[in-house]
Amino acid sequence: MELTVNSVSCSVQSPPLTSLLTVLREELDITSPKAGCESGGCGACTVLVDGQPRRSCLTALCTLDGSEVVTVEGLGTPEDLSRVQQAFIHHYAAQCGFCTDGLIVAATAYVGGGGSADTGDIGEALAGHYCRCTGYVKILEAVAAVARGDTFDTASTASSANNTYVTIAGAES
Amino acid sequence: MKVVGARLPRYDGVGHVTGRTTYVDDVRVPGMLHAAALRSVHHNARITRLDTGAAAAMAGVHAVVTHADVPLLVYGHLSGAGIPGDEPLLAKDHVRYRGQPIALVAADTVDIARAACAAIEVDYEELPALFDVRLGFDGDAPVINDTFGNWYDQYEGNLDVRQIRKGDIDAAMDAADLIVSGVYRTQSVEQVPLETQVCVAIPEPDGRLTIHTCTQAMYFSLGVVCSHLQLPMSQVKMVGGTVGGGFGGKVDTASDTLTALAARKSGQPVKWRWTREEEMLASGNRGPWHMEIIDAVTSDGWILGRKMLTIHDAGAYGRFSVYGLTKHSFHHTGAYSIPNLHFDGYVVFTNKIPTTAMRGYGVTGLSTAIEVHAERVAKELGMDPYEFRLKNANRVNDTSPNRIAYEDPSTVEVLQSLAAATGVELGDGLRAMTREQRSGDMLPDHLVAQIGSGGGH
Repeated sequence: MELTVNSVSCSVQSPPLTSLLTVLREELDITSPKAGCESGGCGACTVLVDGQPRRSCLTALCTLDGSEVVTVEGLGTPEDLSRVQQAFIHHYAAQCGFCTDGLIVAATAYVGGGGSADTGDIGEALAGHYCRCTGYVKILEAVAAVARGDTFDTASTASSANNTYVTIAGAES
Repeated sequence: MKVVGARLPRYDGVGHVTGRTTYVDDVRVPGMLHAAALRSVHHNARITRLDTGAAAAMAGVHAVVTHADVPLLVYGHLSGAGIPGDEPLLAKDHVRYRGQPIALVAADTVDIARAACAAIEVDYEELPALFDVRLGFDGDAPVINDTFGNWYDQYEGNLDVRQIRKGDIDAAMDAADLIVSGVYRTQSVEQVPLETQVCVAIPEPDGRLTIHTCTQAMYFSLGVVCSHLQLPMSQVKMVGGTVGGGFGGKVDTASDTLTALAARKSGQPVKWRWTREEEMLASGNRGPWHMEIIDAVTSDGWILGRKMLTIHDAGAYGRFSVYGLTKHSFHHTGAYSIPNLHFDGYVVFTNKIPTTAMRGYGVTGLSTAIEVHAERVAKELGMDPYEFRLKNANRVNDTSPNRIAYEDPSTVEVLQSLAAATGVELGDGLRAMTREQRSGDMLPDHLVAQIGSGGGH
């Protein structure tokens, strides 16, 4: 089976019904797609297949001959981060990080397809991605900022537009 | 003060967004085996036969670990605090919850390991199971826990109940204008970290073990592993710190000890990653709490006393439940000062997953009960619930149920902020209230004796 993964041509040896998740993690040692549930429920294994976000745990290898697969490793590097990656750092949209790779892949497809900064639209596009740490607010803010065309300073963290800062009397000093 | 208030970048942000962060499941070691567990299919049953011969003989199987392979089979999560152990690492002759591990197989692939688990022969004699804590006290209830019976019975050495007594509860009940009682029950909750329980254990050439762990409690897990394996801590190196979510569910040492045993028995590195189904079925969760509250209140809105009964559903084994209940007892007045208290709490065993920490161990369900009850009391008094809460709110030098004086209670400011954030207009008196020590109208006679000083947190 011939695949292009992150712009590299690969000849894959796994049996035809092997999931793309297993091929990526166990045969190709690409570990950003995570085995969160292995039943399509959590979104942590999401990769791009010919530009579309797909659950790699539910995608059989035999359906992919000649396809182009992109994981988060293929979207940017520490030296050359994509805008979505920058936004996730600047907006503190990653906490434990386990769901982050799948979310960045899905968000990249969303903004690449001209998605708006409307958090309702973003929520719809990212539905099915579970994050147990953040409560989603900062993820929505990060993706909206990319859609708006913001620039990002990854050496600092943005303040959250949704935070209500309350001054506690006696706690100022 | 270079850090407080500064908008610092995440130290692990770049790794998280580029797929470079190495979680335990991403650890690759040459020659690594994969493990799968055989788990009980019954809630309560005797094991009358366990035969691993056929499984061990399968091609590709390198180790089958059972109770006979564990140097110290029973070790308690709170043994270090003097609480006896009650839970075997692997079931020997009795399973007490569905999903309890009986054996771990290490094989060339996870598919072979699962097939070998299916080839292990187990005969069970099924027994009646108990799921409702309230029935645990009945004389004809099945006995759930061999060590403690149906509820933990060794508080302060020989008490079967966690008690708090403060002030004079009978006098408070007599003096009350109104008695308001309520029963509150919270359900169990699974933490559902996106990363399931996972471990990689590597036997080193010098006889030591390296363990890549997803634990939230590194040194605690080191102690648990070394106790079960009867190894000095110098023989085990734990590598951790990168956790794909835990929320309390990775405080128990769920996978490290068994993976280490499989690695030692096979002489090869072993990875054990739980499936999502296993995580939901068998990993420790937040336990249910049954709480009964009786408050003695005055018509002008003071809480004179609280009588409370708590029954904590520990599941099949104790783990941290005694700690959770004790913490619960210290917090049973919530954010409010109540001078006369009578608290009884029990840790009761059922044929369910042993329960553990989750975000505010012992207190989260309690807070629900306390706040719902406060709302009910205010309603019965015909009083503004903010006024009721602010009047009784903890103030500097008010004392907790366990007689610690509060140095910096923030209840007053939290309530004022909540009102402001939700558009609730407080009267001038409530808006001007502060956390400072009670005086004047806010120091009625019944609260004088409980004032302390120079307390802790």
